[in-house]
Amino acid sequence: MINDIRNTVLAVLNKNNYGYISPQDFNLYAQQAQMDLFEDYFYAYNYQVNKENQRTSGTGYADIKKGYVEVIDFFSVTSPLTQIGANLDKFSLPSLATTGSDYYLINKIFIGSTELERIEQSKILLLNSSPLTAPSTMFPAYTTEGSVATIYPVPVALPTVNCQYIRYPKPPKWTYVDLGTSNEPVFDQTQPDYQDFELFPDDATDLTMKILQYAGVSIREASVVQYAGAEEATEINSEK
Amino acid sequence: MSYISQYEYYENGGNAPEDANWGSYQYVSLKDIVVNYQLMYSGNHSLINNEERYKILFHAKRAIQELNYDAFKEVKVLQLTVSEELRFVLPSDYVNWVRISYYKDGVIRPMVENVQVNSAKAYLQANDARILFDQDGKALQPEYSPLDFTRITGQQPSIYLNSLSPYNGLLGYEYEGCWYFDFAVDARYGLNTETANANPTFRIDKKAGVINFDSTMADESCILEYISDGMENGDDTQVTVNKLFEDYVYAYISYQILNSKLGVQEYVVNRARKAKSALLRNAKIRLSNIHPGRLLMNLRGRDKWIK
Repeated sequence: MINDIRNTVLAVLNKNNYGYISPQDFNLYAQQAQMDLFEDYFYAYNYQVNKENQRTSGTGYADIKKGYVEVIDFFSVTSPLTQIGANLDKFSLPSLATTGSDYYLINKIFIGSTELERIEQSKILLLNSSPLTAPSTMFPAYTTEGSVATIYPVPVALPTVNCQYIRYPKPPKWTYVDLGTSNEPVFDQTQPDYQDFELFPDDATDLTMKILQYAGVSIREASVVQYAGAEEATEINSEK
Repeated sequence: MSYISQYEYYENGGNAPEDANWGSYQYVSLKDIVVNYQLMYSGNHSLINNEERYKILFHAKRAIQELNYDAFKEVKVLQLTVSEELRFVLPSDYVNWVRISYYKDGVIRPMVENVQVNSAKAYLQANDARILFDQDGKALQPEYSPLDFTRITGQQPSIYLNSLSPYNGLLGYEYEGCWYFDFAVDARYGLNTETANANPTFRIDKKAGVINFDSTMADESCILEYISDGMENGDDTQVTVNKLFEDYVYAYISYQILNSKLGVQEYVVNRARKAKSALLRNAKIRLSNIHPGRLLMNLRGRDKWIK
């Protein structure tokens, strides 16, 4: 998908000799565009939930929310958390170093089939003070501070603490081999650092328009930014 | 909790204690209550959403506490020997008492609560009745107040018709050819029926957390029937609700959350309140077990001749 999008972007940019963007610039814009759209999924999901509550959405093929859930779940990872030192209650939150990917959102932390409830730092002391709400092995809780999760109550033995989270999409990378005969970089997806977009193919148009906006700003071509912005707005409205 | 096999039910799967699951089908666990509630009554398209689990848990426990105070009728029983100091320390999960009995010679005799005070705090006093203080400014206290001391040493007379009555053991007296005795039934005109009880007496000191008895109870066996709040000393795994009240607990949680939430329409709160009250009534009626067999037993009592 990444090569198609790059070709489209270049075609639009070059149509009236507006300009050209290098592979490095394209990769930067692509990453930014993908993150923008990725975040939009959560807002779009919430928008659909609200529409459902207003009874202005349908079921079956008209259940738009289901599609958003599928995309978000594509980025879902379940992984055990790493204990910090000899502490029985402190675990590292997901990161490249521990679980292999940074988290965008922690959906749940659980021990066995028991889910731990996330508690705000401002509430944890109050929660622990009340006998009716104090975390127990049946209703455990956790707080986060920096990259550390602290679980309550302190376990008597080291538990296997799992985390289900939504990871960030991997940064897309359009890779190429040496310049070919036409003095253009030639796409090569066999490179070890190649990475396609992780969003679904139906986001290709949005990705293209986003990248075009960044590229338009980069080459100081207002009409490109305007065109891409208007296209994106039309696309968003049609999906509501 | 999933359903268990007959073997697990009757013999706990061969584990100890064997009786762990007996009668368990009548109850639903606290965990099930909270999980079911989160699943069925809370969420994006429900009246309740964006509520933390601890709030649901709190209201579920409060509902169970309230039910334990009266609706459940689940009375706990503890039998202990009364100490030399005539005290019976209240159980750790005690909330209120139902009945206190004296167990002697294989017979359970219900005791009456003493209408008079039988324990007090005291301060040491000088000859001129001024209170004595220590160097920190605290009033000095004796080990026992005079009231406690006389009670513990068996010198406290009783207004009840038991062995501590000041008239107990006294000889009767003759008047115009008739003998009168203080315990003679026919001669006791003007008897105070409130205190006409031969069993030992007690009085509960709630703040001190003890039941104080009269001196005849020293080293005697006492049976306390009491109610708790169902929190099982903080062990959430043991907290259960009778299934007849399951729907009420859900309704109670909904009502409490809606009632304390900003911007919820009054009619929604009212609907939740009515649902809660109606379900409590239904559950109480169900639990009272009014069925033909019991009614028949009661009605048969009509035929008894009162002599």
